[in-house]
Amino acid sequence: MLAQGILNQSALQSIVLETSVIGPKNQRLKRNIVADLLLTALIDAFSILVIFLLMSFSSSGELLMAGGIELPKSSQTVVLERFPVIKIDEGKVYLEDKEVKTQDLTAALMDLRKKFQEQRPGEAFHDTITVQADRRLKYEFMNQVIAAASQAGISDIKFAVLMN
Amino acid sequence: MKHKRHLDFELNLIPFIDLLSVCICFLLITAVWIQIGSMSAKQAVGGQPASETKKSPTMWMYLENNGDIGLDVKDAHVPAKMARLKVQNKAGKPDYEKITSIVTDLRNLEPQLLTALVQPKAGSVYEDIITAMESVKKAGILNLGVSPL
Repeated sequence: MLAQGILNQSALQSIVLETSVIGPKNQRLKRNIVADLLLTALIDAFSILVIFLLMSFSSSGELLMAGGIELPKSSQTVVLERFPVIKIDEGKVYLEDKEVKTQDLTAALMDLRKKFQEQRPGEAFHDTITVQADRRLKYEFMNQVIAAASQAGISDIKFAVLMN
Repeated sequence: MKHKRHLDFELNLIPFIDLLSVCICFLLITAVWIQIGSMSAKQAVGGQPASETKKSPTMWMYLENNGDIGLDVKDAHVPAKMARLKVQNKAGKPDYEKITSIVTDLRNLEPQLLTALVQPKAGSVYEDIITAMESVKKAGILNLGVSPL
């Protein structure tokens, strides 16, 4: 069946076949040296690769790896969920990628809560934030963020870390 | 003679391969191989007086700038010599392995010890705070908090 198929018509007309020493065209013992490719197995392998890559696709890492921030490493972690992100980069604080002055952070977090409740009246605000900071950052600076979050009623702070 | 019709047909697999190749290339380029997780720290929020709050065994960890770590266990049934400890630094760095071992012993004595609060200094490095939390978490303490200065 395959011998009369599309592959046979297109791929088998090759120069290799014409000039082959093993099976020259004008000799009596003509041997077909061009093998048929088993495309089904190839497609199987490709499909498995596509499924694996789709399963491991994640957008959270992309969100948190921007900039020159080097996150600390830890083995005792849980999977990162999407919560409002506070980023500390080169002495500046960003709330959801918008620069905020440290003294205004509490107000900005309160606004965020207010907006959430306006947009989704039935749902409860999670009171959780994700903090993304460089591993060499001094606690002196981090403390301002923690204190501001505490004042805004945030009860759960998730520190973004690299999984070991 | 009647013309015999072929009921079998062949699928043209080349477009399938093309499509799958494009999919694989796209997914490989856009894939993020770094796994990011999170370390959770709870904060006390609210105005309930301390006298009304139910007391549960709690461990405080004081991170010193020279790498020493002080441990202070409160409201727990542990011997006095175990309730207050100081773990000396190891070549200028905190000895996290020793911390894990001590906290495991404390947890064996007091299984209700499930809360730890980390009290860093202003000069403490963020990475050290995370590693300190990790060392305690390894010993089975899951409720962690970071105290403001």
